[in-house]
Formats: sequence, C-alpha cells, structure tokens
Amino acid sequence: MKPRTARYPEVGGELPPLTKTIAQRQIDCYSGVRPHSIHTDPEWARQKGFRAPLVQAMMSTAYVSQLMMQFAGEGFVKGGRMSVSFIKPVFVDETLTVRGRVKGREPDGDRTRVTVEVWCENQDGVKTMVGTASGMEENA
Amino acid sequence: MVEFKLISYEAVTVGEEFRSDEFLIKPEDIETYAYAVDDHNSWYFEDSPFGGKIAHPTLLGNQALLMRHSRYLVNAGLHAKMQFEFLEPLRAGMRVRTHGKVIDKYERRERHYMVTQFETRDEETGTALVRGQFTQMIFPQSGVHRETTNR
Repeated sequence: MKPRTARYPEVGGELPPLTKTIAQRQIDCYSGVRPHSIHTDPEWARQKGFRAPLVQAMMSTAYVSQLMMQFAGEGFVKGGRMSVSFIKPVFVDETLTVRGRVKGREPDGDRTRVTVEVWCENQDGVKTMVGTASGMEENA
Repeated sequence: MVEFKLISYEAVTVGEEFRSDEFLIKPEDIETYAYAVDDHNSWYFEDSPFGGKIAHPTLLGNQALLMRHSRYLVNAGLHAKMQFEFLEPLRAGMRVRTHGKVIDKYERRERHYMVTQFETRDEETGTALVRGQFTQMIFPQSGVHRETTNR
C-alpha cells in the first residue's frame, strides 16, 4: 500500500477539524461497562458530583490521533507524540470538535517533525482539552 | 493473600511500580475501538504502508491508565494530563503488557495528583511500542468531586 503523502499545512495553517457526538454506547465500548463507574453508571456519576456520565478523557486522545493521521500517517504511527491536558469534563451526548493548527517545523534526523497545537471544544465553544501533537514528515 | 487498599494520596508512593495484565490484541478489539471513537481508517481494516493491518496508535491507552487498579481500590478518578510517544505500529496478534512507575505526586488547589510513567511492550519480542506518562487525580476521601472540572 502506498504511504499517505499529504503534507501538513504550513505554520499557522489549520487542519480540517473533526466533529464527534459521543453516545453512551460508544463510551460503554471504550471504557467497559462496570458498576460504580463515572463513565457508564449514571447514578454513580451523580453520587460523585457529575450531572451525567462523563466521556472518558482518553477518548479525546483518539480524536487527536485521527486528526493527525489525516496527513503523514506513517510518521504519526511511528514517531508521533502527543501531550495534552484535560481541562473540562465532557458529558454523554455532547458534541466535540477537534481542531489543530500547525505551530512549528523542526528538523529531526533526516525528516521534519511537524508540531500541531491541538484542542477540543464542546458545542458551546468551551475548550475541554488542550495540548500539542507532532508527526514526522518526509523532507520534500 | 493480596490486599487492595483504597487509593489515597498517603498510600501512593513515588517509585512504586505497576504492571498490567498481558493482553492479546484481537481484531475485534480494533473493531470495537473503531466504533467507540468513530475512526474507521482503512489502515486498521484493510492494509497499511507498514504491511498489513495495524491498530489505532492510542488503542492501549487504557491498559496504561488502569494499572493502578492492580494494586488499589479506585472508586473514581479523573485524568488530568496524557503524554504519548508512538514508537512502533500496534497489530492484532501482539501480546502486550504495560509497565509503569509513579514518578511524582503533588497537591494543587487542594487536590491530589499522581504522575505515572509507562512503557508498553510486545511481550514476545520485548520491543517497546508506546511510552509516555499520565497524571491522574486521586479522588478525595469523601468520594465526591467538589466541582465539575478536571482541573
């Protein structure tokens, strides 16, 4: 199979965003259905101070991975990095938009590491996750 | 007899090590994951530039995150930060295990956190596949989160 050769945008350019509306069944599949889980047990979530089950924060890292793999996918699968902070909870049935903006390009061996500022925002435009991700791009 | 303590800031010690169960990556794990995160890239189901199908790079994140459950009773927890470094592609048929070590614990705004460094390896070859670190909140003894924010 041919590698994905699309190159990341230039510095300052935005990656095409992804939108995800997250259903309880998807959370169940991701986190595993267990009693006493803030992700899959609504009553337990309420007892723990949350109005509804929480989307597992780690799911946002999968969305960032998908965002980054739209381009030099090989250089993300092998050589990719991610560093993110989860700053607001995401609840079941909410819609997240995952965005990225190229922050820099640095030589890394015989390739170029492209660093992207990434974030997720909910349907109200509130950021729920912020950080950076990077992938390796073949030099032109 | 193995005793599981309720996790607390006092109980967790910097330097303590965790080890996950061994896990065989199965095609159905990749399918379930694809549904859960709505990512059906053809590399996971048909072919990839690495030769054959691979798995989502983040597939094993929960194996790392849940390691503390192997030593503690954890009623709830919030995930504050995550770092990944993807070293080699994951594939169905690999038997993998994650090893971790607590490298820090700290208090911030009256909340307690623990930081764990991890590495996931192919058990058969010893190859490191993914490494990184994560920060988890240790829920208060009262068991109730005082406001709905992860920070």
